[in-house]
Amino acid sequence: MTSTEAVTGVPFTLNGKDLEADSGELLIDAAERHGVHIPRFCYHPRMKPVGMCRMCLVEVDTGRGPALQPSCMLPVTPEMKVETESEATKEAQDGVLEFLLANHPLDCPVCDKGGECPLQDNAYAFGPGETRFVEEKRHYEKPIPISDLVHLDRERCILCDRCTRFASEVAGDSLIHFIDRGSQTQVNTFPDHPFASYFSGNTVQICPVGALTSAPYRFKARPWDLDAVESTAAVDTTGARVVLQSSQDKLVRVVGVDSDAVNWSWLSDKDRFSYGANNSTERITEPQIKSGGSRKPARWGDALKQAAGALRGPADRIAAIGGSRMSLESQYAWSKLLKGVLGTDHVNAQLGDGLPAALVLGVDRATIAEACEPGGVIVLVGPDPKEEVPTLFLRLRHALVEDGASLIELTPRATSLSNLADVRLAATPGTAGQVMAALADGRLDDEVGTVASAELAKAHELLTSGRPVTMVFGRANLAESARYVADAVGALRRLVPEARFLPALRRGNVHGALEMGLAPGFLPGGIRNRRTNFGRWPSTPEFEGKDTDNVLRGCLNGDFDTVILLGADPLGDFPDQKLAAEALASVTNIISVDTFLNESSALADVILPAAMWGEYDGTFCNMERRLSPMRAKVTAPGRCRPDWMIAAELSLAIGPDLGFVTLDELQAELSSSAGSFTDVSWDEVASADDGPVLSTDRNWDLEFGDPADLPTGPGYGFRLIVDRKMWDMGTTTQQATGLGGLAQNAAIRLAPADVQLMELVGHEVVAIDQGDFQVEVPFVSDPAVIPRTAWMPARLPGFDARQLVAAGRSITQVRLHLPDRDVTTGSSGSAEGSGANG
Amino acid sequence: MGYLDGFPVTFKKIFEGVTTRQYRGGRDATTEDKAPKPERLHGRHVLNRYEDGMEKCIGCELCAGVCPAKCIYVRGADNPPDDPKSPGERYGYVYEINYLRCIHCDLCVEACPTEAITETKLFEFSFTNRDDAIYTKDELLVGDDGMPQHMPWEDWRPGEDEFTSGWMRATAPGGKAAFEGKVGWSGELGYGVRAPEAGQTAVEIEGTEGSSSSGDHDHDHDDSHGHGGGHH
Ligand code: SF4
Ligand code: SF4
Ligand code: SF4
Ligand code: FES
Repeated sequence: MTSTEAVTGVPFTLNGKDLEADSGELLIDAAERHGVHIPRFCYHPRMKPVGMCRMCLVEVDTGRGPALQPSCMLPVTPEMKVETESEATKEAQDGVLEFLLANHPLDCPVCDKGGECPLQDNAYAFGPGETRFVEEKRHYEKPIPISDLVHLDRERCILCDRCTRFASEVAGDSLIHFIDRGSQTQVNTFPDHPFASYFSGNTVQICPVGALTSAPYRFKARPWDLDAVESTAAVDTTGARVVLQSSQDKLVRVVGVDSDAVNWSWLSDKDRFSYGANNSTERITEPQIKSGGSRKPARWGDALKQAAGALRGPADRIAAIGGSRMSLESQYAWSKLLKGVLGTDHVNAQLGDGLPAALVLGVDRATIAEACEPGGVIVLVGPDPKEEVPTLFLRLRHALVEDGASLIELTPRATSLSNLADVRLAATPGTAGQVMAALADGRLDDEVGTVASAELAKAHELLTSGRPVTMVFGRANLAESARYVADAVGALRRLVPEARFLPALRRGNVHGALEMGLAPGFLPGGIRNRRTNFGRWPSTPEFEGKDTDNVLRGCLNGDFDTVILLGADPLGDFPDQKLAAEALASVTNIISVDTFLNESSALADVILPAAMWGEYDGTFCNMERRLSPMRAKVTAPGRCRPDWMIAAELSLAIGPDLGFVTLDELQAELSSSAGSFTDVSWDEVASADDGPVLSTDRNWDLEFGDPADLPTGPGYGFRLIVDRKMWDMGTTTQQATGLGGLAQNAAIRLAPADVQLMELVGHEVVAIDQGDFQVEVPFVSDPAVIPRTAWMPARLPGFDARQLVAAGRSITQVRLHLPDRDVTTGSSGSAEGSGANG
Repeated sequence: MGYLDGFPVTFKKIFEGVTTRQYRGGRDATTEDKAPKPERLHGRHVLNRYEDGMEKCIGCELCAGVCPAKCIYVRGADNPPDDPKSPGERYGYVYEINYLRCIHCDLCVEACPTEAITETKLFEFSFTNRDDAIYTKDELLVGDDGMPQHMPWEDWRPGEDEFTSGWMRATAPGGKAAFEGKVGWSGELGYGVRAPEAGQTAVEIEGTEGSSSSGDHDHDHDDSHGHGGGHH
């Protein structure tokens, strides 16, 4: 070996064997890789080591004689000699465990961790078996709820620092800490500040003892009566990998899986706890038919017959909305039924809160790993990732905090990543495209809208520095047209042609839906409908369909007879609530394929009950186009069926046979007809650790045109920003145990400067005046808001901001003024109270 | 012919004596008294209570986990704070044993950390439907006097329901003579703390110890694990 050769391996000796470690590798990891498990409590491979628990002590000789050292803090150095089974190591392990158990209560039989507890396992495998302590143990109040979802039992805590490190290092919500000193040290929250983190469930998963337990799982089952299967979370488009666990054919727990490509074992609380909706007693469990104003349970045969009857009319008078809840296979089946059999192209999985299908399908797609590349530049033109794609938020945050990535944020309000952003381009609604165009054209000397020229220059420098650029794009604002996002994408492509894009859409399997052609103008595989033969389909649509916006408007004009709702609730979900309500009231037939009775399915003439996530097998396609399995763990209740079977049966009721009766046959047909799926190995999808990423060479030459001009309004208004919170009045959240109460009451958020200007200080509500519509809503002064804009998340209890949105407008303005009914601080005790708190 | 070949056998047997013997309810052939049952006979279970009436079962499912016949179904729940059913956080909210499957091995009794589940000496119960065969918590739980409940189809004789509690369990961890005569169980409703049994002969145990001292040491070590965990 010459001295110029790079050192690839670090030679060391482990229990007498000569082995090699990677350079910089920690001893605990290197040993694990070579099959020697060193016991540990505090070390977690996804967090920085702290050496708190001392369980991993091993005898290490670096030439100065053997000494006990914590293997989680020690990178392997050349010629290190390690003994993990020597007398000294064993004695140290005995000692550490005896000390840890000095205060640990023996309530394993009632502890949710009992049976899968590292402390139990290590005590059994490495402990002394007896204790010499006879003293009374430390006592605290038994479990205290530190949030609505997490209980803390301080007696059981072994002070490993995992939960607290997770909260501050990974999630960035430093809401739990060690308090007090010495033997009184305990984990706790700040007084009056619950552990209200979107990621709190992860601390339950990583706590090596039963100190942190989850409220929904509390006493539901014991580890030995759990049955498990690996699957993919479908609440947002990140597609976090999970294990579904059931007991007695009921889902009782969801645990994160360490997928290197996607979620690194972390889950959002929504991923983790949404399974509760499966067990809700409100599920629709049998087909229903409406007759004479009331709904009656019906047999499948009758319900299908009635639905088929409503679908016999001309194809262009049938429309379908939704489909992003289903599996890829079900999406294919419905796509074939709607487009191939019925021949309608008025099909859209997005409910006016998404982006044009061509844009999402056609841009050069980044993987999450590429977006989070160390040293890369991330451009965020989209919603607050923490609210809408929370697992992606954790990856982005890690890239920014640990891996030297830079962030340019082009959003209409500050997000959870703003404090980590290198440049924040605070663009008011309607201006994102113009701002990005100015960067692309190098017009950096003048401000654009509310964005100062200095900020433009900084962003331009980052984008042209030659570092890899990824744009994370999505709908930041439901009250402005998606057009501006498209403009920004187009402009960035001009400036950085090799930039890649990661769409941060929100709705579950929406990427699967777009791939399967549940969008106007497309067929499965991202193929544009050329009105010729497609695969084994009987036909393809003869016309170009409308998106959800225009379908609903068409309903008002009487253009449609039948609307099929595929797990979609336009009344609860479409940005323009008024339009959705009027539209659905004016169509003749509504067929709803759904799991719950919601505002929209309650209007349906026929309801076909669908199986939920966790009750069917299928495939998920995430934002990277990564395919991973969604698996059935429990039996669907009542007479619910997987969506693809409903499509197949409905097709038979109409006449044609869709041509598949098993999932395998369906997948085979899908591969053969949908171009980009030809090479997909379904076995690989089912078994690979991370799941294959669908390879496409689309990078389409999209036409963007000139970015829209800066919109000019009447000038009196505040530009409205409406987006979504993780916890809202959505059906899943409301039906899942423990999540219903997490949605915060609606309030309109205004810039502090505007609150001053409007002399709102001391008031609690502000009046919104839309001409034909007046309302008073609570307001909050929030520095995240740009002056002359107003931010209000949709679908919260109290007031739904969607009432202010009118579909089709490029931006929405609201007129705000002092409330007529004067509620001032002086007359209201509660306002004084809150003042004192502040 | 052919199908008639079997009839000669049938007719021959009709005139032979009946060999089926009726069950005599455990009585011996001459008297009407039932034969005494061994002290540790494994009969149907009871769920015990503490002296203050609290249920001993904490709904931990250890019995269900160990049961080789998978015949126990337990669900735990939070103790209602205003009306706790058992000491501590958790109580057995559902408890069922299916006697069509139970093999009376008593592994559940050994697994229970609180001596909640034990077996009586009652094995004479014949039900006429499957529902009756599944004993629910209401049926298994001892009454306010600490006595097992008598189901209509069970044949109890006076005094038979007396020795049903944690006292029933193996008396000495690891079978070591050192534990003989020591109380290793909690008090129970109706009886208080039962006195230890004098019975087990020290001679036998010493004999085993002498024959393989090293093997016995290991055994003892394991067992004190289980014991220590069980009684706190
Ligand atoms: S609560 Fe659990 S994770 Fe947190 S410090 Fe204690 S033992 Fe560790
Ligand atoms: S005695 Fe044996 S078979 Fe019967 S319930 Fe107990 S563990 Fe199960
Ligand atoms: S092992 Fe004992 S305490 Fe636990 S569930 Fe069974 S009977 Fe109840
Ligand atoms: S694992 Fe090394 S000190 Fe805790």
